[in-house]
Amino acid sequence: MTAPVASGSHHRPVVRVGDALSIPYSRRGVVVFAVLVLVIAAVAVITLTAGRLGIELPNLLPALLSDPGGKEGFVLGRLRGPRLAVAVATGATLGVAGTLFQTVTRNPLGSPDVIGLGAGAAAGAAAAGLLWPGVIPIPAGALLGASIAMAAVWLGTGRGFSSPSRFIIVGIGVSAMGYAFTQYVIARSGREQATVLASYLNGTLASRSWGDAAVIWAALAVLLPAALLLGRRLLLIEMGDETADALGGRSGRTRLLSIAVAVCLSAAAVSVAGPVAFVALTAPQIARRLGRMAGAGIVLSAATGALLLATADLLVQQAPFDVHLPVGILTAAVGGVYLGYLLIREWKKGTI
Amino acid sequence: MLVAIGVLALVILLSLSVGNKALPPLQVWQSLIAPGDSYADAVVNSRVPRTVLGVLVGAALAVSGVVMQGLTRNPLGDPGLLGVNAGAAASIVTAVAFFGVPSAAPTVWVALPGAFLAVVIVHLLGSGPRGGKPLRLVLAGAVVTAVIAAYVQALSLSLPDVFDSYRYWVVGSLAGRDPAVIADILPFVLVGLALSLVLGPGLNALALGEDTATALGAHPTRTRLTGAVATTVLCAAATAAAGPIGFVGLAVPHIVRGFTGGDHRWLLAYSVILGPVLVLAADLIGRVLVRPQELMVGVVTAFVGGPMLLVAVRRMRAGR
Repeated sequence: MTAPVASGSHHRPVVRVGDALSIPYSRRGVVVFAVLVLVIAAVAVITLTAGRLGIELPNLLPALLSDPGGKEGFVLGRLRGPRLAVAVATGATLGVAGTLFQTVTRNPLGSPDVIGLGAGAAAGAAAAGLLWPGVIPIPAGALLGASIAMAAVWLGTGRGFSSPSRFIIVGIGVSAMGYAFTQYVIARSGREQATVLASYLNGTLASRSWGDAAVIWAALAVLLPAALLLGRRLLLIEMGDETADALGGRSGRTRLLSIAVAVCLSAAAVSVAGPVAFVALTAPQIARRLGRMAGAGIVLSAATGALLLATADLLVQQAPFDVHLPVGILTAAVGGVYLGYLLIREWKKGTI
Repeated sequence: MLVAIGVLALVILLSLSVGNKALPPLQVWQSLIAPGDSYADAVVNSRVPRTVLGVLVGAALAVSGVVMQGLTRNPLGDPGLLGVNAGAAASIVTAVAFFGVPSAAPTVWVALPGAFLAVVIVHLLGSGPRGGKPLRLVLAGAVVTAVIAAYVQALSLSLPDVFDSYRYWVVGSLAGRDPAVIADILPFVLVGLALSLVLGPGLNALALGEDTATALGAHPTRTRLTGAVATTVLCAAATAAAGPIGFVGLAVPHIVRGFTGGDHRWLLAYSVILGPVLVLAADLIGRVLVRPQELMVGVVTAFVGGPMLLVAVRRMRAGR
């Protein structure tokens, strides 16, 4: 990585890795990113320390550095540690997936929650878990379901992904099908299984293991660079297909690759945490406003997504109810309201 | 029209005869006109409530779909898509959870407030200053459905008993419902259908645009209000009885429009007949497809209706 090229009035500073990758960034973006990381760290500390089982603040650093036993080891190693790791990575994954989708469809509403990806993945997971247990593992089922749903949307629109509004409507139809299928599986299965599955299908981070954390961090490590590589061309796509093609953006191929990466990201997130609603929808929007950047602020979206999910999970963990609700219910309620706000705003602008 | 009625009769007969124990249609007929207490009679008897329920629910959903599409001048109007079913579901779950209503028999009264609230919210969200565009309403419906679903899930997951009855109800099924439900929803469906059927001319006028309708002497506001009440009552009744069944209200009007054109009077009349046909046929498919188990009718309609949404969208684009 070379030092950033000096910023003049015409050039934005750029981080280069050889010739393959150059990511333009803005000062504001860097500052916002740093702040986001700090806030995530703060949320993480609160998550580990708060409540009856929390590790006391003075003991936290030693506990992190050494290998503590007893209560602290249990809380850090089994109870909250993996859960926190999964929350941060899943949030980041969803944020990136949302950015890719929203850029490709050129519409804030074209995110995995609205267009049937989550429903498809959930249906796949449900089928793998309850209908044909043991035949395929649940994550594979989620990926399969997500891919089938996307294929259905792709075929359904008749022109691939180039017509955003049609894309969204077809997605709503596909998601209704996935949802119906999931409900059928739940109604068929026994009560205990059904309860577990229902909470998974809302998106939950309860009792995650380091194995889950490894899966999602690995997925993020592979797919985030892929998304960054696509980022530059995605910026061109935002200007419209013809302009993008004229500038060498190869809109069709870029779109297909982005969707593929986004589907993999979403499926990875679903397989460890279930379809957590609306993080993918809101994170890019918030990131965009924070960064005041046009275009795919992929890194910022990842950080925002991580912060959103970690915070939501903290709230769910510390909520004063007897039952620990899945985190997906909180994100669905809050995100749904935000989606409503987004809709009204879009309509006032007349973009839909 | 005669053909449609013939098809309905055929589907009803099939619905009575097909199942885990298949009976020849002739025997069904005998059991119906001269009930005895043979085994066949018992089988037919057990299928009668289900069939009647299918007819009522189908008619209610299809007609409410026509009215909704007419009112919003939007080919994508469907009680399921626009969140009305979800509203009814939320209010039923609330009643079961907090007010001790027995979960076995959710009544129409319980479903009404939620359904009505959802109708109002969707219309507020979806009809901006420049009138609601189709995509807008559908998205508004999706938002309302998502938020309501979160609420319902939160309730049902924290209260296992509610969850247990809820998960059977929420798929949308005609099987295993209490026959008393039919008597319960019958008056609502009849009132809703009557209200809707007289709306035909009003909807036709509205299709020309608000201003033209007023100039022609129609009362758009009155039509809208009656229509909203009628759709709410119909959806609430159907949802209370059979659970949320999607896409019937979308699919039937589109099929009917194919051979009647856009006249709402004919649309309404045909929907009353073809709605039941679709629901009963879906129920039949569900019974036959995975024998000896059954696929719930809501699952079948979703898989039949999802593609219909696509057809509707394509037709919409072609029309403009």
